[in-house]
Amino acid sequence: MDVATYKEDIWGREVILGASWDLLWLVVVSAFVVIALHAVILAVRRRAARPSSAGPRVPRHSAVDRIFHWIMAVTVIVLLITGVFPIIGLEFSWLTIHWIAGLVLTASVVFHIVRSLFWQDLKAMWISARDLKEPFDATLKPGKYSVAQKSMHAAVTVLVLLVIGSGLVMFAMIDTPWWERSNSIAESTLGWVFLIHGLSTLALIALIALHIYFGLRPEKLFYTRSMIKGWISKEELEANHDPERWAPGKSS
Amino acid sequence: MASHDVMPDIELYQPVELSDALDLLERYGDDGWLLGGGQDTYGWLKDRAKHPKAMIDLNGIDSLHGIRELADGLEIGAVTTLVEMIGDPVINRDFGLLSQAAGRVASPQIRNVATLGGNLVQDTRCWYYRRGLSCYRAGGNLCYADSPQGMNREHALFGASRCVAVSPSDTAIALVALEATMVAASLDGERLIPAEKFFAGPDTHITRMTSLDPGEILTAVRVPSKWAGQRFYFEKVADRNVWDFALVSIAAAMAVQGNVINDARFVCGGVACKPHRLRKVERAAVGMTLSEESADTLALLASEGAKPLTYNQFKLPLMENLVRRAVRG
Repeated sequence: MDVATYKEDIWGREVILGASWDLLWLVVVSAFVVIALHAVILAVRRRAARPSSAGPRVPRHSAVDRIFHWIMAVTVIVLLITGVFPIIGLEFSWLTIHWIAGLVLTASVVFHIVRSLFWQDLKAMWISARDLKEPFDATLKPGKYSVAQKSMHAAVTVLVLLVIGSGLVMFAMIDTPWWERSNSIAESTLGWVFLIHGLSTLALIALIALHIYFGLRPEKLFYTRSMIKGWISKEELEANHDPERWAPGKSS
Repeated sequence: MASHDVMPDIELYQPVELSDALDLLERYGDDGWLLGGGQDTYGWLKDRAKHPKAMIDLNGIDSLHGIRELADGLEIGAVTTLVEMIGDPVINRDFGLLSQAAGRVASPQIRNVATLGGNLVQDTRCWYYRRGLSCYRAGGNLCYADSPQGMNREHALFGASRCVAVSPSDTAIALVALEATMVAASLDGERLIPAEKFFAGPDTHITRMTSLDPGEILTAVRVPSKWAGQRFYFEKVADRNVWDFALVSIAAAMAVQGNVINDARFVCGGVACKPHRLRKVERAAVGMTLSEESADTLALLASEGAKPLTYNQFKLPLMENLVRRAVRG
């Protein structure tokens, strides 16, 4: 199975056309297999008692962060539907919806970057050497975010920046209210842009599938609730986090 | 690109039943190619720009031939030749617009073999695409015609979405003006598609010209009697008077009573990837009298919203003048 597809440019030279969309099925099937295996393993394992959501509450996500998260979630889903459905044969007028959603995503990511750099604790998302020991040592509890959550964030950051960067170059190739399309990018360069956009999209599909799966797992549902309502219970905090490393209310 | 005098090696099927043709189309999928008069097909295949494995000739299927009167209008089989349509007394009596359009297709020799279905579903004539370049329409990632050096004199003024190719069909604009319905058959049954929705723009279907789904065959066209015997106007402007595609064409149907336009359909060809309805002109025309003033007023509305390319700005006054002439009659 090829990673890229190729074509002849107008001079007869072989150039990259873009990502091979045969990979989509590989990505979908692989994500499904990983999720199914994980679900089976956890179903077989003895379940620990789940902490109660009743009792005192502690803040986990501020309203601004929750709004950002759900705007990003909606735009990414819209972008995937409008970008991928026509490729698999569900054709509709997708382009305008796609670029508008892309601009909303870009604006929200820029907002998030500025906010994290100047108003948030950037280190809360940094992966340290101690974080890497977490999965292998049951006595180690994470701070605000587990190493899995930090890894997901890092991967999504890289992929979203790649998809936005390549998307903005492609955006210059179409008519918008602000400019008329130029079609002036060299075919070989354009091929790389489409390849980056396509591969990062495929990787995002896998990551989002995993993200949704973990967000819906019974033992992780309290994190999803916190992304909606903003809080977790004190019992959930103590069962899953190290109070020495995360003092709720002091950082977002 | 190599061009050949001979056809490539290809399996030829000549079914006599529609069900057999549908089975073959199902069996071959993307590798199957439907053949009507062959006037679009043979160019593609001889140029080796398309590589189907099997050609399914529809001409032997009797049910796809002929012109039949219905309770409300008439039905024309998809492989009815253009010459048969041009000579048909009912079409000439009631739907002169259609016989005029068919009479302006290509050349007499081509009209002898070209079919209505073939004329409607034919592919665009953008030469970058026809040359076999990997443009958007061919599954690629750019439009050569719309690049800074692109030659786009014949290309679109309206509805471009990445691809700027135009529909080359002369009969398409007449059928949209007459509010025809296309009959599409598949193994799942029959589907009726209004002519206006039958033709597809690049915003939805960038690699095909119609909304026919894979596995579907256009079997007939039904023309309702709504516009029968009304005032029609057809004109096609091309670089040559025969054997050429339209730079701009117009098909107009007007219901006129006492010199007042009660209803109207104006459709232009050669300006978009599908027949382009002039809705502003149609709305403004209702209630107007047929006069020089009306013609001038309506003409100015024709090109509103156009986005000309580098070399096709001449199409704007051409469209306006065709509307003017249509109203003048």
